[in-house]
Amino acid sequence: MKKQHIKDMIFRIAPIVGLLILFALFMVFAVIKDINIPYSMKNILNQSVIVIVVATGAIFIYTLGSFDISLGANMCVSALIGAMAYNRTGSVLVMLGACVLCAVLISLVCSVLASVFHLPVFVTTIAMLSLLNAGVLMLIGANGTGDIVQVPADAVSAINTVEFKLLVLCLYLAVCIFVFNFLKLGREEKFVGGNPECARLTGLNNSRLAILAFIMAGIGVGLGSFLTITYAPTLSRNTASSVGMDVIISIVFGGMPVSGGARSKIYSAVVGALSMTLLSQIMLMLNLNSGISQMVKAIIFILVVYISMSDNKKNNLPR
Amino acid sequence: MKKIVEITHMSKRFGSTVALDDVDLEAYEGEIRGLIGENGSGKSTVTSIYAGMQKADAGTMLFEGKEWHPSSMNDALKKGVGMIVQENGTVPGISVAENIYLGEIDSYKKGPFVDLGRLNRDAQKALDDIGAGHINAAQITGMLDFQDRKLIEIAKVMVNDPKVLVVDETTTALSQKGREIIYSIMNKMRDDGKTVIFISHDLDEIMSVCDRLTVLRDGKIIRTFDKEEFEENAIKTSMIGRELQGNYYRDDYEEPAEKETVLKAEHLNLGNQLVDFSFELKKGEILGVGGLSHCGMHTLGKVLFGAMMPQSGTFTVHGKPVTSIHDAMKKQIGYVAKDRDTESLSLDASIKDNIAIAGLDKFSIKNFLILPSKENAYVKKQADALSIKCAGINQYVSALSGGNKQKVAFGKWLGRESEILILDCPTRGVDIGVKQAMYQLMYKMRNEGKSILLISEEMAELIGMSDRILIMKDGELKKELVRSRDLSEADVIQYMI
Repeated sequence: MKKQHIKDMIFRIAPIVGLLILFALFMVFAVIKDINIPYSMKNILNQSVIVIVVATGAIFIYTLGSFDISLGANMCVSALIGAMAYNRTGSVLVMLGACVLCAVLISLVCSVLASVFHLPVFVTTIAMLSLLNAGVLMLIGANGTGDIVQVPADAVSAINTVEFKLLVLCLYLAVCIFVFNFLKLGREEKFVGGNPECARLTGLNNSRLAILAFIMAGIGVGLGSFLTITYAPTLSRNTASSVGMDVIISIVFGGMPVSGGARSKIYSAVVGALSMTLLSQIMLMLNLNSGISQMVKAIIFILVVYISMSDNKKNNLPR
Repeated sequence: MKKIVEITHMSKRFGSTVALDDVDLEAYEGEIRGLIGENGSGKSTVTSIYAGMQKADAGTMLFEGKEWHPSSMNDALKKGVGMIVQENGTVPGISVAENIYLGEIDSYKKGPFVDLGRLNRDAQKALDDIGAGHINAAQITGMLDFQDRKLIEIAKVMVNDPKVLVVDETTTALSQKGREIIYSIMNKMRDDGKTVIFISHDLDEIMSVCDRLTVLRDGKIIRTFDKEEFEENAIKTSMIGRELQGNYYRDDYEEPAEKETVLKAEHLNLGNQLVDFSFELKKGEILGVGGLSHCGMHTLGKVLFGAMMPQSGTFTVHGKPVTSIHDAMKKQIGYVAKDRDTESLSLDASIKDNIAIAGLDKFSIKNFLILPSKENAYVKKQADALSIKCAGINQYVSALSGGNKQKVAFGKWLGRESEILILDCPTRGVDIGVKQAMYQLMYKMRNEGKSILLISEEMAELIGMSDRILIMKDGELKKELVRSRDLSEADVIQYMI
């Protein structure tokens, strides 16, 4: 029993230990290569924050044992709507509101459709991915200059700071941690992910919980799209194109079980996204090209999933 | 008699848990050998190692006098040792025939195609041979109920004509008809000079079926009883290492003091599972519901909890209709499902998560905010009251024994102080010590004025615990029997079949 307890603890802290090791490696290589550490750290935070925000919200979906393949496309559409709202009103607050509202509405449509037609939610997110990609083309075509939609850079330069981004992240993270761990909603989400049928027979409304999970994720996507505009005010069809995949890899890398359930943790998003960005930076410092970098990420992703699943198998040995 | 199974000095550990400790076991041709013991005593472990499911840490095994090292269950089956496991062992998304001949589909190949006609015919014959001809071999397995899926597993093993058959806790999932099928297979094997190793928690069953009985406790062989030595109390004492204190079933025959009706069902209809079904459940009453596997009793439990809606008819609690599971819970109804691992528990969650989830509205502030201190106190109270053996309330349920898992399933509803408990086969796969504790708990609840609908496939349990018994057949209420000293299993069975 004690051994199992120790093993569980090792699995719990392994992602954090991994992050610390990557950080140590980053520092070592930065010193060897004489790289400006504060500047690089700022870069890492800039790159990580958006993925962390989106992944933090997405944890609610992954906890249900589901996933959303349309997160990146949702972010792109929401950013475009936000940019257009700014260009019409000149208000950053309106831009923020438009980003969040649009992202939440898209998430809501996905989950409500799934609930109405009794489909697994990821099925509607696949359909939504196609719709959103078409929407991106239409929005850019109707409102852009050539292939882009732009917000004046000086309009967002005041909030394009690491401090502001960290503030947004910390506020959203605090809300998510509170909801996830201290509200009835969070507990119910985790239980549904562990065993949906048992949850139903315990009086939980699985459809309602899926809708609420998508709303929480939508808020994260909206904030992510807002931060994307502040970081890169020129939006194109490729904006946030890799975010969906980065979110999946980060969440798993941060120790989130692929099947969701009670072992889900919000910090997986933070730990995973930081680890992935650090890994990318280290490979960049080693002059490895992006192809090799992607391959390394893929291998690590498979290894992490394999290890987490093999532990689960051992837990279920016949007694 | 010739020794066919021989196991010596077998040991097995799971982490720090000693599952088997220097076990010696043998079985002979032409015998049905029973294995009995509390949950976690090592019965399934020793037989699953012999049947190729897993490896031992130490020890030797012989089969027909030769060294025995099966590489898998399939390998063991091909060489003459078959096992029917406790939990579901079929693949739901393929046909019954494909399940029966899983791993042997190549022998049905006709060029690049599979000869489905021959496959289905052979599978149907295999089902007919074991007395399960009512199952259509071409049907998708997932559409069938738990009992029929179990019968498919039996057919799958029997087409290989094993010399040794291990039946692990299978009968608890079967109704009387299913049990009769498996008893007849076991008896035929014995008559043909083959060997059956039969694992069950049902002492009456194991005493009537087996020729010899081996008791395990804490991974060790305690004693082997010959048929003429079978004596209930001696076996129980060997199993639990002490004399069982107090009564097993309740020993009173008084009617419930209260006459108030708490739950009333009128003219319920749902396919052929419920046909014009009406009854009343009184306050402070244990109402048993029994019947054969397809009689509709399990559906009745789900309907009364709001998990399935009847096509017509009404059911009310204190005169108010129940419209959903949520509504049933608000009306203080609790439900322990038959299929514990898939319907009653989230195995990958902790004891705390499982017990707390049903009671969030009871201890959260404004049905919204959860304070860890309140949650821990709520869960700990249930864990202590039920004496759940665990390292702590944060332990994962998957690491608990069957009996303790069932206690957690009970704990979910006790914490809510449910006034009406629907218990579907609550003692399935539970050892004698836990069973007694559960019976005592049910009786205590009854005396506190709570009402219990006890759905059970064990007649002794129905007779021993119920104030009244409703016998169902083909969805209809066939007979209502009132608690009496003279009520026998024969009295009950005649209305079931």
